[in-house]
Amino acid sequence: MKRFFIPGLLVIGLGAGLGWQLLPAPLPQAWTPQEAALIQSLSLSQLPALSPDPSNAVADIKNAAELGQLLYFDSRMSGNGEVACATCHQPERYFTDGLPLATGTALGSRHTPSLVGLSHSPWFYWDGRKDSQWAQALAPIEAGHEHNLDRLQVVRLIAKDRDYSERYAALFGALPPLPATLQTASPLGNAEATANWQRLSLAQQGSINQAFANVGKSIAAYQRKLLPGPSRFDKYADQVNSESRISGNGVLSREEIAGLKLFIGDGQCISCHNGPLFTNFEFHNTGVLAIAGQLPPMGRYDGIRLAKEDEFNCLSYYSDAQPEECIELLFAKGDNELVGAQKTPSLRNITETAPYMHGGQIADLTAVMEHYNDAPTSMLSHNEAKPLGLRPVQLSQLVAFMQTLTAPLNVDPRWLLAPGQ
Amino acid sequence: MIFRNTAAAVRLAILFMLPVSKLWAQDSNFSFQTNKGSTLDVFSQLNPVVINRIHSWELVLTGADESPVTGAEISVTGGMPDHDHGLPTLPVVTRETSPGRYLLEGVRFHMPGRWQLTLTITSPQGDEIGLLDFEL
Repeated sequence: MKRFFIPGLLVIGLGAGLGWQLLPAPLPQAWTPQEAALIQSLSLSQLPALSPDPSNAVADIKNAAELGQLLYFDSRMSGNGEVACATCHQPERYFTDGLPLATGTALGSRHTPSLVGLSHSPWFYWDGRKDSQWAQALAPIEAGHEHNLDRLQVVRLIAKDRDYSERYAALFGALPPLPATLQTASPLGNAEATANWQRLSLAQQGSINQAFANVGKSIAAYQRKLLPGPSRFDKYADQVNSESRISGNGVLSREEIAGLKLFIGDGQCISCHNGPLFTNFEFHNTGVLAIAGQLPPMGRYDGIRLAKEDEFNCLSYYSDAQPEECIELLFAKGDNELVGAQKTPSLRNITETAPYMHGGQIADLTAVMEHYNDAPTSMLSHNEAKPLGLRPVQLSQLVAFMQTLTAPLNVDPRWLLAPGQ
Repeated sequence: MIFRNTAAAVRLAILFMLPVSKLWAQDSNFSFQTNKGSTLDVFSQLNPVVINRIHSWELVLTGADESPVTGAEISVTGGMPDHDHGLPTLPVVTRETSPGRYLLEGVRFHMPGRWQLTLTITSPQGDEIGLLDFEL
């Protein structure tokens, strides 16, 4: 009998250990009032109407959105004639591309973020270096590895396409006269473009910039149409209160509900992924490894400096806002705490937008949960997140909860296709 | 150096001795005392205060003798003690709208949880510190 005692103990111990790692804990009967309030705060039904963008006078004008849609899908908006906004921000992939790093005319340095619901954000790019969606839309067009075009070429494209120039004139007035001989000109870009830019008068530069800004404002008007639709989670959240049973009406599985409980509790996900879009649109250093072959990025520390210097920011000549309306830019913080901080992405439709993080460094959601569970030391500055000590079964529950956030977009289908398709 | 450290320690001790408000009253505004006995009433433009929305506060500063404190310079710092980070914005008192009433612009909170703000006040009456501690 004795000889079975120690092996028996070992088997029981091993079984208990495995069980602890893999078996779910029972759920309580009901949410606490605090939990119920947090769950309700995440529901899409709590999303306020899109705030006006005072820097963009055509932000909510349908004709501008229609012009923006045409431009968005037009690959003539690139140096090689093959790249449009829709090349990386693909409607059928929730406006992402499924790649670790964006590939336009060449391989880029950042992962393509989804555009869905992004119009609610005060900041754009992973590092927030643009303070409006229209100013953001301009930058990829001139980036050598993205569209590789320049602003004079963009305005020339509008001028030579009769449909574009008519639509443009109806919204913004006639296009400015363009320099007769120069084909390419921009203060950014290659040596020829920058040299040509210097040959233009200040008035010519200003009128080209204004027309270029108007192109961005039209594209932004289109992007404001791209909103998320209600998912299974929202159906559950809208019936939650502290009186109701935690199991709901079978809308979510017990595993998904357990994941939700972790999301708003021990997982601390809701600290940053909060509100109806599951993001605070703020900047956090969460110790994500640097992108292979790149130095660790300075993140928002550089981003806010660039936003303040940006020639197309809310306080610029090309903005339609009064200076006092540029509240975000005026009161933005820029200190050492922001070193290595990247913008919190929305988790809506997150199952469909792999890979993850600013460089697409993490391939799947299980690995994302493991990353936050470990909270590794940051390569730059400090990781705001702390190790969670969750069990494998709990990480699986969090992944299961992510499945409940996917839904068809709340967008008229006409906006999801290239016009004429 | 020793003097500077002592001053910092004294300042910290004062902070911890201040009366602390525990919870953001969801349907009303804050009133609290500074370490010199002045009263600061906070009226949020966004009431109740919710996360992720930039907004302004009106700060009404009344001296211990119950008269408005005018000509004060007020600076605001703060953050989340449990998360080891500061405010997401840089709120600034942009003007005194009427005697003793100050407009604080650029306030935003980006996480639910415990927040702590320190209001440093310099006025003809001297220097004062007020501590605001609340849950969102």
